[in-house]
Amino acid sequence: MEKILSVSHLGKSFKDKKVLKSISFDVCKGEIMAILGPNGAGKSTTIRSIMGIIYPDHGEINFENHSEIPRHKIGYLPEERGLYQNVKVMDILLYLAELKDYPMKKAKERALHYLKKFDLEGKENVAIEELSKGMSQKVQFISSIIHEPDLLILDEPFSGLDPVSQDVFKDEIRELANQGTAILLSSHQMNLVEEICDRLFMMQDGQKVIYGSLDDVKMEYANFKCTIRGQNQLSDLDVIPGVQRIEQTDATSILYLEKDIQPTQWLKQVPDKLSIQEMSLNRISLHEIFIDIAADKQLLKGGEVHA
Amino acid sequence: MRNSIKVAKWEMKRNLKNKSYIIGLFMTPLIILVFMLISSFMSGSEDNTTTERTDVYVNDQVKLFDEIGETVKTHDLNWQIHQTDLDKASLEHVLASSEDTAYLFLTEEAINQDKIPIFTSEDIPVNFMNEVQFLEGPIKLWQAKKLGLSDEELAVVTAPLSFDELSVDDLKEPSSSDKKEEHSTGLSQAVPGIFGGLILLSISITGMYIFQSASNEKKDKIAEIILSSVTPGELMQGKIVGYFVLGLIQVAVILGFAVPIALWKLDFPVLDYLLVPQTLLFILIAIMGYLLFASLFVGLGATMTDMGSAGNFQGFVMMLPFLPFIFITPVIGNPSGLIAKVGTYFPFSTPGVLMLRLVMLEEWPWLEIGIALVILAISIWLFMKLAGKIFKVGILMYGKNATPKEIWRWLTA
Repeated sequence: MEKILSVSHLGKSFKDKKVLKSISFDVCKGEIMAILGPNGAGKSTTIRSIMGIIYPDHGEINFENHSEIPRHKIGYLPEERGLYQNVKVMDILLYLAELKDYPMKKAKERALHYLKKFDLEGKENVAIEELSKGMSQKVQFISSIIHEPDLLILDEPFSGLDPVSQDVFKDEIRELANQGTAILLSSHQMNLVEEICDRLFMMQDGQKVIYGSLDDVKMEYANFKCTIRGQNQLSDLDVIPGVQRIEQTDATSILYLEKDIQPTQWLKQVPDKLSIQEMSLNRISLHEIFIDIAADKQLLKGGEVHA
Repeated sequence: MRNSIKVAKWEMKRNLKNKSYIIGLFMTPLIILVFMLISSFMSGSEDNTTTERTDVYVNDQVKLFDEIGETVKTHDLNWQIHQTDLDKASLEHVLASSEDTAYLFLTEEAINQDKIPIFTSEDIPVNFMNEVQFLEGPIKLWQAKKLGLSDEELAVVTAPLSFDELSVDDLKEPSSSDKKEEHSTGLSQAVPGIFGGLILLSISITGMYIFQSASNEKKDKIAEIILSSVTPGELMQGKIVGYFVLGLIQVAVILGFAVPIALWKLDFPVLDYLLVPQTLLFILIAIMGYLLFASLFVGLGATMTDMGSAGNFQGFVMMLPFLPFIFITPVIGNPSGLIAKVGTYFPFSTPGVLMLRLVMLEEWPWLEIGIALVILAISIWLFMKLAGKIFKVGILMYGKNATPKEIWRWLTA
């Protein structure tokens, strides 16, 4: 895959606190790369360093074929975001496109296209302050993609969105990637990102936790878990082989399976006498992987992760 | 630079589309106009009180009525004169029931005693007794004639003496026509000065919008989005240039009101006085003054979210453009004095004080002007640098005001 952006050994301290410790990753054309981690892990600092908004103490950031930040080729949606309140939607979109040197006529067409797509048709002459928060977020998103960027950087794109809007954004991000845009996004909502990202970089306390493709990570770290709904005795479940640990609450039991079990083989070993109302077998989520690994590396204090 | 121009264009467009800006644009000259009208109305109404004529009744026993009439005419006294043969005895009754009325008794006896009785009503203009002094001329003339002086002798005796106030310099150029010209150079200096002051005031006031604009970037949390396309320096420059042009638009609007009124109200050729090389210097000073205050405001705006939350430190900096007002009285008193010079060399008062001095002084102190402009230029460069440093960090600090300590850290970083 064609690399668009590579970050190597990024380090940054605020006062005496090290907030980034040797962060390295790449972003390639047409892929969705996710930076994941709880609040305060250093995601936004990494992104702001890439955007040249803050300067890293050490490390390198390279854009393919460019010696400095190709601002016109990048779309950026910051975490803390807003728009001028007392201006019209179309005016601000055209201004931001103009700052990117994008042709006005095309910008206008694209603005109308996306407003329609995001259910904001007819709002182009409405002032930003009259829009709801969700509508305003959609306009912000449009502003970051209006100039057809090669690289789209989204810092917490889903925060504050309702589930319907989250889906709209997810679909649009996927579509952009399919069209060849390189996408770097950060989120603390790992379950959301799990559904769309190709590769991921998990971090905690400014350090790498896991870096790799979603499939590889899942293959390597995500063991199967079997969720059974039904009244069962713990002693009945204990006898099943290949189980690491069991979590039981009321009528639901979750069996965490060992790494190298064969799902079909394992299922045959489930005792007949179990009461099964529902049963599902799937890999554990990114969130659970994150907690497992971070705990292993003793990066979690008090075992609590806000996710 | 291209990006700065884009930002500048945006700031202009945004304001020109904003109703409150447009209203402000036209309100400023209108307010000035209204004040001018009110003050001229007030002084006009003062005139009205004095236009009530004083009725002067003359009991003329020496046949001087016509001469008095002429004196009243030549001195433009606001009198209505009448002849009367009322005697002193019946005066009391008449004067008690009248206003602005005086009775003058011109009798030979009184004239010979050099004491002419005048009886006035209780209401009489304050300066009436001064005006009466003008009558001395015709009465004295009458006296002299009575003594039998010839017309020639009369002419010598009655020709008024005048004392001409001259300085040593006047020895070199004694003609009176020069004096008149000097008077007009004073005016021709004042007109470009007032023009320059107008530009400075307008663009400095518009410059305060820069402050608002910079703190809006913080309040609306858009700074990071903008900074993904332009550098902080370009954003800052763009704002300064944009508001400069907006300030000039304000100047143009004010001139659009002021010039026709000046041409109509004042009877000297304002435009001829304005279109002189001196105007260029005043404009230069005004623009430099703007740049200094603009850098101050743009840096300051980046340190706080809104005006309401300004601390003591910020409030103090906001007041700096008004510093020249402290100097106005001493500078007018002595345009070449020590205080005037201090004001000229202290960058924040330089534009205002220098302009005021140039208007007051007939001989321009070119060396001082040069030094002041150099100080101003260095200060602009320095404050732009400092503002740039503050702006770069401050603009991204959303929802929080910077403390003086933090600002100091950014400056020294």
